[in-house]
Amino acid sequence: MSLHAKAYIAGIYEHPVRRADTLSTAQLHAQVALGALQDAGLTLDDVDGYFCGADAPGLGGLTMAEYIGLNRLRHVDTTESGGSAYLLHLSHAAQAIAAGHCNVALVTMADRPLAAASGTRLAGVDRSTMPNLPFQVAVPPMPMYGYAMVARRHMHEFGTTSEQLAWVRVAASHHAQYNPHAVHRQVVSLQEVLASPMVADPLHRLDCCVMTDGGGAVVLVRPEIAKRLSRPRVKLLGAGEAIKHPDAGRIDLTWSAGVHSGAKAFAEAGVTPQDIRYVSLYDSFTITVIVQLEDLGFCAKGEGGRFVADGNLISGVGKLPFNTDGGGLCNNHPGNKGGMTKILEAVRQCRGEAHPAVQVADHSLVLAHGTGGSLAGAHAAGTVILEAE
Amino acid sequence: MSSAKHLLPAPVVFPGDEPFWQAAAQGRLLLKHCPACDRSHFYPRAHCPLCGHPDTHWREASGRGKVYSYTLMGRAARPTAPAIVELEEGPRLSTVVVDADVHALAIDDPVTLRFLPTEQGLQALAFTTPAADHARRYTQAALSELGQAPSGRAQAMQEAAVIGAGNMGTGIAQAFLSAGLRVLLIDSSATSLAAGLERIEQALHKDLERGRLDASAHAARRALLRTSTSLADVANADVIVEAVFEDMTLKQQLFAAIDAVAAPHALLATNTSTLDVGAIAAATSRPGSVLGLHFFNPAHVMRLIEVVRAPHTSPEAILLAQALAQRLGKVAVVVGICDGFVGNRLMIRREREAARLLLEGAWPQHIDRVLRAFGLPMGTFELQDMAGGIALTYHARKRSGQSDWLIEQLFERGRTGLRAGKGYYRYEAGKRTPIVDPEVSDLIEQASRAAGIERRHIDDAEIRDRLILPMVNEGAKLIEEGIVERASDIDLVWQFGYGWPDWKGGPMYHADRLGIASVVERLNALRDAHGERFEPASLLVRLAQTQHGLTPALP
Repeated sequence: MSLHAKAYIAGIYEHPVRRADTLSTAQLHAQVALGALQDAGLTLDDVDGYFCGADAPGLGGLTMAEYIGLNRLRHVDTTESGGSAYLLHLSHAAQAIAAGHCNVALVTMADRPLAAASGTRLAGVDRSTMPNLPFQVAVPPMPMYGYAMVARRHMHEFGTTSEQLAWVRVAASHHAQYNPHAVHRQVVSLQEVLASPMVADPLHRLDCCVMTDGGGAVVLVRPEIAKRLSRPRVKLLGAGEAIKHPDAGRIDLTWSAGVHSGAKAFAEAGVTPQDIRYVSLYDSFTITVIVQLEDLGFCAKGEGGRFVADGNLISGVGKLPFNTDGGGLCNNHPGNKGGMTKILEAVRQCRGEAHPAVQVADHSLVLAHGTGGSLAGAHAAGTVILEAE
Repeated sequence: MSSAKHLLPAPVVFPGDEPFWQAAAQGRLLLKHCPACDRSHFYPRAHCPLCGHPDTHWREASGRGKVYSYTLMGRAARPTAPAIVELEEGPRLSTVVVDADVHALAIDDPVTLRFLPTEQGLQALAFTTPAADHARRYTQAALSELGQAPSGRAQAMQEAAVIGAGNMGTGIAQAFLSAGLRVLLIDSSATSLAAGLERIEQALHKDLERGRLDASAHAARRALLRTSTSLADVANADVIVEAVFEDMTLKQQLFAAIDAVAAPHALLATNTSTLDVGAIAAATSRPGSVLGLHFFNPAHVMRLIEVVRAPHTSPEAILLAQALAQRLGKVAVVVGICDGFVGNRLMIRREREAARLLLEGAWPQHIDRVLRAFGLPMGTFELQDMAGGIALTYHARKRSGQSDWLIEQLFERGRTGLRAGKGYYRYEAGKRTPIVDPEVSDLIEQASRAAGIERRHIDDAEIRDRLILPMVNEGAKLIEEGIVERASDIDLVWQFGYGWPDWKGGPMYHADRLGIASVVERLNALRDAHGERFEPASLLVRLAQTQHGLTPALP
């Protein structure tokens, strides 16, 4: 079933909080839900499909459905794939709408790892029964080590440099200066990135995303409903999802599942990477952006480092502006899951409602892409291509 | 001393995984092999995840592989590089490379198995490098070279007297208590004695609290300890260790007094780290029974004892000292008399060069980072801050009439080290993490100006060579001078007294890895650039021509 033009994004909301000491996770979910519905011009009673990940407290979406007050649900989906889950939710919601399972789909994401001091652990994910963990009990569980190994291998195979990695952060910081909610608003130089402490060689501290609380929500609706609403229309042109895992020891760190999710999304949208005017890319680490650019076809495999250099990702400067809200590197990374915020900024760009200093002039076609799990281990990629109508 | 807090958490053993863990306990790695598709997989499954065949068999892997990718873990109990290793059999797996020179690791480097203990006794899969394994085998060989002294007389020892209730004296007393000897702690000052006794009691209490001693062992150990302010009480001691202030006249008076009352069979030892043991022995009527027992601070923890042989020390006394050290669980290296013996003589060379590098343009944090990356547990300035090195150097310079502007400035500003909260670095209250202090940077810049030296950028390789190669050179001189019997003894001193890692062998082993010809060439270049202090020892020059190393080749 092609998802081409089967659904529209009608409403979005990003929670402004970055550290939620006085808000519960459930309250955050409710606030982003109400925010996105208000943005769309819809109410709780309009929602008949609900999508959430394991960050939603309780049992499989049911607890939040009751807490938020969703009384007309006909469809629920609690796919969990780490940070990319919300990109998968968009795709699943479009499928559900196309299949007639629901008309108005609400996706919520929210968590508070800072306030709860829970580190990089993903909420709601039980590791105790994972069969592979005993065999790597000596491996420190922090994500940065896996991504550092991806970076090291990329450098080894393709000659990628620390300076090229640093360009990704520099570009993000140029955008974040215009975002009053961003954790890091100061513009940083290549030298500042390279001089920041090494946290997992070859990754410096400024190659790593922030950790924050917060969340966001998206409302996806059937085309007939979108036409009745007053907000700028954002059409889902194509979506793709794919997973990749270590395959019982057949590890290859040079490519991600984005190879497949991207190809599927482009085919469905009927466009090519050259047509895309803005990208939201998962930026847990600077290397994540480089690998995804290659895998989505914005440049050849191995060329990602050279592609991002010299400000090529900076809005108004380079050819492919990315993460104009500052992204996970500078703005926020709620719950250690950056997929929702990737969607939100892509929608703002597509509506022409990003900050004027970073809004791309031609916002007809934008792409949002996320990688959840670990690029060095099992992960799921989700890609969506959006068109301004 | 390993402690439980460094152990990895116990892995979960899922049904069917048991053979993997049984093999791991024997240092072997099992993969699962599929009879249908003839491929191996990691981690074990009953079915084949590659073709779906329902039944797989265990197959032992070679344990050899190479690094596919890696990174470095900053703060870890042991050198740790998270890595993906490609086994010879094909599978790549997420693991760690440990207990090796991880800072020198590179993609495609060979690795080999090394299992790590976990909390409930299972062995966790990890890897190390063949080079690190070689160094560990060298260390084992070096330890067995020390030999086993006949233990009879040392086992028969019942009572030790320790004179001087300062830090060293109380540490030494605890080392004897741990080995089950009665200990008489003596100090002429009742106040010092009370303070020393309290320190020991606190340490014993901590052992009790942490479960290292049970109540009855604690009581028994406490009962072994007595104190006295009278030297006459040493009469019953089988071994007497003097650990008073470093003053030759004082020590000679003490030894003359001990000589008058000690039992005829008693071993008489001084813990001096700087004075001539022969001159101390000469104050007694039995120089054959007098030697140095140079413990390292904290004496109940550090495993090294330099057994210092004076000109008249009898071979029996040396053997007895070695056997006693073994009874204390220590590593005893016999050394001759020279300034600083073995360990400190090398350390002094390194510290002086480090001070010189500061004046020329390096910073403490830079030098310490280079030494840590080299593999040492701590940099030289962190170490000096921890051990009170600034005050020691200040007083030593005062005594010898030398002046050192930077040391004087640091000392006079109360920057005496970690305990003062500031030294070469500053420290937050209760924390041990060194923090760069602009005040010190300013002082160093002033010191450079005062010395008329224009500061320049100094790269890591120069710092490493100028700190490590003089240690090698000094070690070679110790061998030439007959201060040590074997090059490997110097390496053991640095491993057990100064934390040089076993996976790196020691300074002399390191020189052999570099190649003696290369060491001589670099020393020659340093001499030409920086002066005669780098002139290579004649032993090194000779070895460079013969292609021989300082340490024996392993079988």
